[in-house]
Order: sequence, then structure tokens, then C-alpha cells
Amino acid sequence: MSPELVASLVHFLGMMLLIASFWILASSQIGASIRAYATHSFLLALITTVIAITNHIEHLLIPALLTLVLKTIVIPHVFFRIIRRLGIRKEVESYINIPFSLLLAVLLVFVSFYATGDGKFLKPVAFSEFIPLAISTVFFGMLMMTTRKKAVNQVLGLLLIENGLFLMAVTMTFGMPLLVEMGIFFDVLVAVMIMGLFVFKIRDAFESIDADDMTVLKG
Amino acid sequence: MTIERALWMPLIFAFLCLIPCPKRMTRLTFMAGAILSAIGAWLFVFETSWSPRVFAFNGNLMMDSLSAVFVLLITSVGVLSAVYAGGYLFKEGDTSISPLRLRRYAFFFHLFLFTMLLTVFSNNLGIMWIAIEGTTLASAFLVNVDDKKSSIEAAWKYLILCSVGIALALFGIILVYYSAIAQAAAGEGGLLLNWTFLLNHAKQLDPQVLRLAFIFILVGYGTKAGLAPFHSWLPDAHSQAPAPVSALLSGVLLSCATLGILRYHILTTAATGSTFSGTLLIFFGVLSVAVATPFILEQKDYKRLLAYSSVEHMGLAAVGLGFGGVLGIYGALLHIVNHAFTKSLLFFSSGHLLHLFQTKEISKVKGIFRRNPFLGTIFFLSALAIAGMPPFSVFVSEFLILSAGFLAGKFIPCALLLILLALVFIGFLRHANQMTFSVPEGPAVTGKSFLMDSVLGVGLVVIFVMGFYIPGPFQKLLLDAGRVAEGAIV
Repeated sequence: MSPELVASLVHFLGMMLLIASFWILASSQIGASIRAYATHSFLLALITTVIAITNHIEHLLIPALLTLVLKTIVIPHVFFRIIRRLGIRKEVESYINIPFSLLLAVLLVFVSFYATGDGKFLKPVAFSEFIPLAISTVFFGMLMMTTRKKAVNQVLGLLLIENGLFLMAVTMTFGMPLLVEMGIFFDVLVAVMIMGLFVFKIRDAFESIDADDMTVLKG
Repeated sequence: MTIERALWMPLIFAFLCLIPCPKRMTRLTFMAGAILSAIGAWLFVFETSWSPRVFAFNGNLMMDSLSAVFVLLITSVGVLSAVYAGGYLFKEGDTSISPLRLRRYAFFFHLFLFTMLLTVFSNNLGIMWIAIEGTTLASAFLVNVDDKKSSIEAAWKYLILCSVGIALALFGIILVYYSAIAQAAAGEGGLLLNWTFLLNHAKQLDPQVLRLAFIFILVGYGTKAGLAPFHSWLPDAHSQAPAPVSALLSGVLLSCATLGILRYHILTTAATGSTFSGTLLIFFGVLSVAVATPFILEQKDYKRLLAYSSVEHMGLAAVGLGFGGVLGIYGALLHIVNHAFTKSLLFFSSGHLLHLFQTKEISKVKGIFRRNPFLGTIFFLSALAIAGMPPFSVFVSEFLILSAGFLAGKFIPCALLLILLALVFIGFLRHANQMTFSVPEGPAVTGKSFLMDSVLGVGLVVIFVMGFYIPGPFQKLLLDAGRVAEGAIV
């Protein structure tokens, strides 16, 4: 592939990734945000593959494959099973309405571009346009965790943060050492399973999965 | 013994505990497992404590005197906690907890010990991150043993808050790795996250990036260590978990996270040659003590009282690490050890209290001393000990930390700490006095379980003796660890 082609491919993928992050925040249905998360992870896998191939970093292909299998297929599948068994149909409940959270998200994107824009402090090893994207993905995850009421959405926010960090690691260092990367994947998978179990426990005890119903403990 | 074998033992016992068999057998496996793993780890530590560093698993695992101190701490509190749990949760004739649940409890208990040991044994900073996240995942089920509303809420908060915190720490690790990669020669890829390697090449790392990384690590692992203002999960999880688990969480889990911070503190200090990370530690340490004090003074729930006192003591330990110097580091490490034993003793007696009074409210606990003199004595003395009363061990380490501060010329934090510690002392004395000596409302009882009572007795002896005399080998280990933390290779 010629360098120009690679550059425009990378631009395209980065743009799609940003759109996918917005899609996660914008969906008013849990099912749609899970699909958006799967798309986000799929794009992440593609980006990792492109970086791996253009820089001849073969060991990076393994995390790319794992992202494809675990985050695009397995974890969304687990989520869909959870919401089917919980019987949640639709609405994502939020402390602030969706248009306003999108507005905040745009602001966060500006902040992340501004904060990392000059490229002096952090010199990435791969494509520098991914650094602000990675940071805004982390911000989006945090926004999601703080503003959404349902326990399932909070888990999704956590996964979004993890995706952002993965992108950060890939762009800045060509990914962590393989052993560490595998361990992180393992932890994420186990975390999703355990949090999924707890979502059911919350439903049984509180008869809803709104995290703001949990107000027993104070002081 | 090798590091691998010391790690395999709790893991094997975790799975042995899952075998379906009568309750008595599970209990035996559970307790024997903790004791045997502890003996194994001790043998290993004392076989190798005269060599500075022992590596394993291609250098990804390592034991130096710093980790040796924590290995001893984890395993000994683990044994006390397992024996106490043997009497507390595995009571004869108690059917409130099903055998399946007990087996699962035993499994996660050993898994929790395993992840903590892995944390202190890791040399590879990435593996340390994985292990610390593992401690959260393994202990979430231990916090929620009874499926009550409040326990589920506490466990959920614990899972979510600590996972987010840990995610921030991962960002810090990526930054450290980045600064290493930017300088590294080719072909050293696998080593780059190893703490020993980074420390040897600390001068070549970009100081600005490391400073940024330290901030993320402090926030991330600080969440786990219970430093204010990231401590909000801590009182919930500690108060809802069963007594033996609270003891482990408060005594050793917080200490493991502090070790994580300490490793980066050493690295950052070596790389930047400044007191940047030390100043941050002092600031957040004093803040933790200050935030915990009003909650201790006005607390209504005795388990939450103990939990806030953990925030206070972790803050003190962080201040000691921040003051630095051999005295400060030695004092901080000793404080971590003393706090672990004293606080777990208090949490064990809170298990007795809950059993005796069926409530966690301070105002409803009256006249412990008249109702059960043994428990009353232990509870009152250990409450005095944690408040910093001489001749108990916590006083000694608090004194060392403050002297280190005065020696380093940090008068403002020291003065603040003295005022806050006096307030905490008043708070503890008031609560303990009211709980122990007021007029009782029920008949006198005697202890039911020999196992549980003996754990209390052993704990009291340990914190009393440690106030005067620290055994020779352990003293040497602590001093060596202090020197490692100073940046020297011992």
C-alpha cells in the first residue's frame, strides 16, 4: 500500500471511530448502544491491524484478533443475553438528556484535541491523530458512567474507557507487551462476567437496575 | 521454595475448596490451606532474605526485601482471618449460609490471597496492574456474602469505583512504558515494563512524562488504597463485608495498593531527582487524615468507624512515604504492618460484637465489658492501640513518621497531623468508652468459639509485643526495605 492510501485509510477509520463513540452516547436504546460498542471495537481492531501491518509489528496482530473476537462478538453477545434475561426493552435513562450529553461530548472532543494538539509532549510512535481520539473515548466512557442510571450502561461506560486506553497504548507504544495485553483482556472479560452477575443480583434485590436506587449506605 | 511455588499454593487450595464435600471437610481444607500457604511463603522469605533480589518467570516476578515484608503481612493476616472465618462463617449447626455458598466463599478467599501475593511479587508493572484488578474481582464476592440489599450496593460501588480508578492507573502505566520505549535500544521489548529495569535506567526516562504518569497512578491505586478523596467505596465495602473479610480488606488489600504507589514513587523520585511525588503523597495523606477525622468523631456505625480509621491510617502511611529518608520509609512500612494487625484485630472483635448485639449501631452496643469481659478487654485495648496510645505498636510507628517529618523540616503537615491525631484519639476514646463501660442491657455471656477467641488473644499479644520488640530478622527486613525504598539496591 502506498503511504497516501494508508494515510487516508487511517483518517477514514479514525473518523468512523469518533462517529461510533458518538453513536454509543446518542442511542436511546440499550440494544443500539451495545451494537454501537461492537462497531467501535470492530473499528479498533481494524485500526490495530492497519498499524500492525504498516509498521511490521507482527505481535500486535494478536491483540487485534482478540479485540475482534472478544469485544466485537463475545462481550456484546453476553450483554444481549443479559438484557434479554432482564427483560429490558428500551430507554436508556440519563440524568441529563441525550442532546445535552452530545453537546458535552463535542466539548470533550475539543478539549482532547486542544490538550494533545501540539504533539510536543507526547510523541506517538504510530499515527498522531489517534491520541486525541483515544482520550476523547476515555472521556466519553466517563461521561457515560456518571450520567446514566442503569447499571448495564455503567458497565458499558467502563468498557468504553478500556477501549480508549487500548487505542492509546497502540498508538503510543505499539501496544503493551503481549503477556500484559493478554492479562488485560482476561481481566476485562472476567470483569464483564462478574458485573453481569451483579446486575442480576441488583435486579433481584432492588427490583430495578437503576444505580441511583442504591442509597442505603451513607456517612 | 520458589516464587512460583509460593504463588501456586493458594491457587491450588482455592480449587480444592470447591470440591463438594461435607462442611467440616471444606472448613478443614480452607483453614489448612491458609496455614500451609503461609508456612510455605515464610520458609521462602527466610531462605532468601539474605539475597537482595530473587527473580522468577523471566524476570516478571521478583522478590526484594520490600515485597518480603508484604508477603509476611499478607500471609499472617490471611492465617488469622482464615482461622477466624473457620469459627465465624463455618459455625457448627448454622444453616443460614448454604454449603455451596461456603465453598464459593472459601474459593474466593484463597483466590483473593493469591492475587494479593501476585501483586507484591510482580516486577513487571503491567502484571502488577492485572493482579490489582484481580484483587477487586476476587473480593467483590467476598464483600457480598449474604445477598442483602446493602451488601449488593456496597459490592457494586466497590467494583465500579475501583475498576475506574484502576483504569486511570493503566493510563499511567502506558505513559511509563512510552517513556521507556522512547529511550530503549531494540531487542529489550519484554523487559521494558520491569520495575528493576526501569529503575536502573531511571535517569534516561523523560521526567515530565513520569510526573504525569505518577499523578495517574496515585489517583488509580490511591482509589484502591483508600486515599481521600477517592475513598468513597471504602466505608461501604468494609462495613458490609463479613468480619474476616473486612479484616483482610482493611489490613492487607489497602497495604498492597500502597505498595503499588510506593514502587512508582521510588521510580519517579529516581527519574526526576525531585520531591515531586513525595509532596503529592504528603498532600493526599494529610487530606485523607483530615477527611476521615470528622467521620470518626460523629460516627454512628462501629464498622464504618473502623473503616474511616483505615482511611486515616493509610493517609498517615502515605505521609510517611512522602517524608522519605530511611526513618520516614521505615516508619511508614512499620505503620502499615502495625495498622494491619491492629485493625484486623478490631474487625475480628466487630464480628464478635455483631454476633452478641445483632446490630452495627454504636448507640445500641452497651456494656461489652460486663457482658463478656474477655471481648471487652480486647476491644477496648485494641481501640486504644489504633488511636495511637502507648505502649502499643501503632504509637511507635506514628511517632517515627512524625519525627521523620520534623527532621525533614516539614512543620506544617506535622502540626496539622498532630491536631488531627488528637481529635481522632478523642473520638475513638469516646466511642470505645461508651461501648465498653456503659450499663449493659443483657445478661453476661461467654465466648462460643474457641477458634475465634484465640485469634483475638493472639492478635492482642502481637500488637502489644510489637510495641516494644520487633524480632531481629523482621527488623533487618524492614530496614532493608526502607533502603530499597530509598533507591539503593540492597
